[in-house]
Amino acid sequence: MTRPILMGAVAYDPKVVPIWDGIREYIAEAGPGMDYVLFSNYEAQVDALLSGFIDIAWNTNLAYVRAQRRTGGHCRALAMRDTDVDYCSVIVSGTNSGISTLADLRSRTLAVGSRDSGHAAILPLYFLKRQDIDPQRDLNLMRFDLDVGKHGDTGASESAVLNAVASGQADAGVVGDPFWAKALEERAVDGDRIRLLWTTPTYHHCNFTVLDSMDESRTTPWVEALLKMDYNNARHRPLLDMEGLKRWLPAQTEGYRTLFEAVEEQGIE
Amino acid sequence: MTRPITNKVEAHYNGEDLGVSEGLLVAVARLLDSLIEGETLEVLTENPSVADDLRVWCRRAGHRFLNATRENGKSIILIQRGFVRRTLADPPEWGVRMPRRGDTIDMRDWQIGRHATIAEEAPMSGALAPRGASLEEGGPAIEFSIRKRSDIWANAISELYEQATSSQWVGARDIPWQELAPLDDEVERAVCQIMTFLAENEYAALYVPARFIGQIHPHFTEAALLLSTVMVDEARHIEVFTKRALANGGGLGVASAATQLSLASLLEPKDFSIASFLLSVLGEGTFLDLLAFLEEHAPDRTTREICRRARQDEARHVRFGIAHAKYTLEADLSAARRFSSAVEARAEFLKSVSGVGALIEESLIIYAGGGMSASSLRAGTRRVAELYETMHANRVKRLAAAGFDFDQADRMSRLHTPNFM
Repeated sequence: MTRPILMGAVAYDPKVVPIWDGIREYIAEAGPGMDYVLFSNYEAQVDALLSGFIDIAWNTNLAYVRAQRRTGGHCRALAMRDTDVDYCSVIVSGTNSGISTLADLRSRTLAVGSRDSGHAAILPLYFLKRQDIDPQRDLNLMRFDLDVGKHGDTGASESAVLNAVASGQADAGVVGDPFWAKALEERAVDGDRIRLLWTTPTYHHCNFTVLDSMDESRTTPWVEALLKMDYNNARHRPLLDMEGLKRWLPAQTEGYRTLFEAVEEQGIE
Repeated sequence: MTRPITNKVEAHYNGEDLGVSEGLLVAVARLLDSLIEGETLEVLTENPSVADDLRVWCRRAGHRFLNATRENGKSIILIQRGFVRRTLADPPEWGVRMPRRGDTIDMRDWQIGRHATIAEEAPMSGALAPRGASLEEGGPAIEFSIRKRSDIWANAISELYEQATSSQWVGARDIPWQELAPLDDEVERAVCQIMTFLAENEYAALYVPARFIGQIHPHFTEAALLLSTVMVDEARHIEVFTKRALANGGGLGVASAATQLSLASLLEPKDFSIASFLLSVLGEGTFLDLLAFLEEHAPDRTTREICRRARQDEARHVRFGIAHAKYTLEADLSAARRFSSAVEARAEFLKSVSGVGALIEESLIIYAGGGMSASSLRAGTRRVAELYETMHANRVKRLAAAGFDFDQADRMSRLHTPNFM
């Protein structure tokens, strides 16, 4: 008899425990069964996936890209959150900074989040370059390298970015669009001080990653059970709310292309 | 500005220059709530940040941002409602309007809309919410042990509640404390002992409902609210009886072991109907006669007013006790036997208590006679003997009002504790 699927997740917040305890319980009731272990950082989790210690890694986009690069593309994405499909980053600017177009960013201070955050640093800088703004040459970067190893999951660096822009320390800043949406919803955005300047093209964010060698007959029932979680079900809702999604979707991978290019371009290992 | 013909718009909002975090989301979220999945909301805005902000918000909220068109500084934004129900509850009711009684709104008229439906048995788990509210799924399961209507209800319960709230008084203000003057020492000593005894009894009358309120399913709101007025009444009685003992040169008297035993036995029943029957029908009922007696023979206007006001409150408690006993007896054929067994069990438990106790009885005699002279004691002794007769006769009447026949009532009354409550 094969052991139940062992999934890895990164403990970026205490709520990670109730999230995965709840999902473990749900998956067990649905049939296939699973267990999970927590890592303190994504690098250790990718190592554990590659060594076979875990079967599935709940990866950020950067962790997925690293796993693919280290295996020569021999990983597979199983599923993702609805919010992972059309993820984007937003560039916000101080309302009184005199910045009203992307071109106005030149020679100004741009606050960015953790260097290992796809959404708060790597991808927005990549996309700015495609708008003819070279981060190294044209911008004065104010980096908030907080909670490195957690790939921006904690939101600490995004919070620092918004504060820097709102207080005028930085002229503009970069955050993930869910962080901005949450700030809007919580009325934490003072429209007299800070506003959205530009939205990057969309990209994919997290996914459940397995090695190619993982037998589909083991992962398919697990994915099928996951996809049946229903936001309109009162038992599932708190779990999905904590994890930041309305429904799970089968993985798409086209949206990772930009991050592969970005890590290459920026020399990120 | 042209609008795509394919998009039928089911709701519309003009946000003027309002920002997304300045309040616009309130309207957007509420209007989307009113739509069904796939229907479209149109937002008109003059604020240049709104289109981008709403696009980002829609992703988080589970709606689809269809399109934004901008012309002459104004944007038209189309949002399609997603599958997500923001609140997992049935739609709340609308159009309910209680009738007025002159300028006021009375609980007797609030059996209206969904609130009017009172079940014989409340659901297994309850919510700390008004009966008839749309309860969202996913809340905690709160268990209440009093779930059967016949275990807590009484006819005219709303009327009793309105009477209770409109009859509230203030211990510090509504008693003529300024009229208190020195009394004969023996009379003051008697007053102090009686006030101590009254306060002891009122602790039982406070703590018994306190033990049950938290067990009442909020479906039977009227009962929980009425009992909370009872508790406020009893708190006030403890306050004024204690103040009277402390206010005029005497002090608190003895809390006798027999009284304590009698009162402790009132805390025993786990069944509200039995507790209420023993406390309110038999105990507080007897107390009504005691308070009337103390009012009649009071040595001063302050003490008289205390007894008069306390008696008015107690009369409501007794009315509820009788009405609840009657409701239970009519709903449950075994209730009569349970009540009489409880009276017998309590009598058995209190068989060591042979009378109200020398200290109390002597105090009542001195109080009623007006002093310790021979003629006072003769008059006081006669009046106390008459009081006991009155107490028994009225207990029988109350038991009959609750639904017992004369023989049952007479027997139960004689078994009732000689300690009054």
